[in-house]
Amino acid sequence: MSRQAGRGTESKKMNSELFTLTYGALVTQLCKDYENDEDVNKQLDKMGYNIGVRLIEDFLARSNVGRCHDFRETADVIAKIAFKMYLGITPSITNWSPGGDEFSLILENNPLVDFVELPDNHSSLIYSNLLCGVLRGALEMVSQGLSSSETEIRTTKVQMAVDVKFVQDTLKGDSVTEIRMKFIRRIEDNLPAGEE
Amino acid sequence: SRELFVLTYGALVAQLCKDYEKDEDVNICLDRMGYGIGVRLIDDFLARSAVKKCRSYSETADMIAQVAFKMYLGVTASVRCTSAAGNEFSLILDKNPLVDFVEELPAERASLCYCNLLCGVIRGALEMVHLPAEVTFLQDRLKGDAVTEIGITFLRKAEDRKHKRN
Repeated sequence: MSRQAGRGTESKKMNSELFTLTYGALVTQLCKDYENDEDVNKQLDKMGYNIGVRLIEDFLARSNVGRCHDFRETADVIAKIAFKMYLGITPSITNWSPGGDEFSLILENNPLVDFVELPDNHSSLIYSNLLCGVLRGALEMVSQGLSSSETEIRTTKVQMAVDVKFVQDTLKGDSVTEIRMKFIRRIEDNLPAGEE
Repeated sequence: SRELFVLTYGALVAQLCKDYEKDEDVNICLDRMGYGIGVRLIDDFLARSAVKKCRSYSETADMIAQVAFKMYLGVTASVRCTSAAGNEFSLILDKNPLVDFVEELPAERASLCYCNLLCGVIRGALEMVHLPAEVTFLQDRLKGDAVTEIGITFLRKAEDRKHKRN
């Protein structure tokens, strides 16, 4: 397999090779476990979801972002902060729907596929589908503590149901990798911490 | 930051636990996967670290513990030589990021070497630089030991070295 040359400055800070290869081992194992690509895709999405619901806490703690007021802000945070933090890349945001509830993330470089070619018998495999699940799970579990006084802490849960899918994939011969994110609905609860 | 990697690793181990009933089979599988990773990762390591060739097993062990661990896991390990022949070493990890989200092993998985991928990685990488070795976990905090300790035994007889071993 050919090695990509010139990964640029991001490679100094984010040594993702071990992650990339471990992710490959995971996908390979799933391909052994499930006969068809669709089942592997579903399993990757499910695993990603379970990762996302945990990862969001880590993200909020590390990034210290304030609450996003609309889906555009959310898109910015995902692309410029979250992707940067965990994958060392910054996708661009494009193709907003007229209603502002759908957008695309364009990844020119996807570190997960650094060593990867899809074999012919896995042409329907969505190799990086874990990412879709991570995004979906994280957005469903976004919650931030806001202190309103010394004695009372209110927790705002901003649960957002989104649909996330790959619409272009360099592994399948497309020129870029494109993830489409669509906002479905939002649930907001204001609860004193003790009631949770 | 490595949390996405750590959680993905957890997903991998969980999947293997579904696939294999016995801990020993999961351990073997993790080691084998790690080996497959190590034989590729060594190229990346040598390119990034630009290290010169190690002149002794002791230097090699130090390189793994101080440079490679730092590069890929963000932590360093301390090294001790544990044999008079100078070919056995122990790497002690104070902090192991792979287990950040793991509180304890489930009761039914008491023999699981959760991080066994690492042993395979080290073994595979060393083999690619012509230093065949056995690599195993000797102690594991997840199993209640005080520290996490990886043992490396270099298998080839130590060649004549110009420099004295430490």
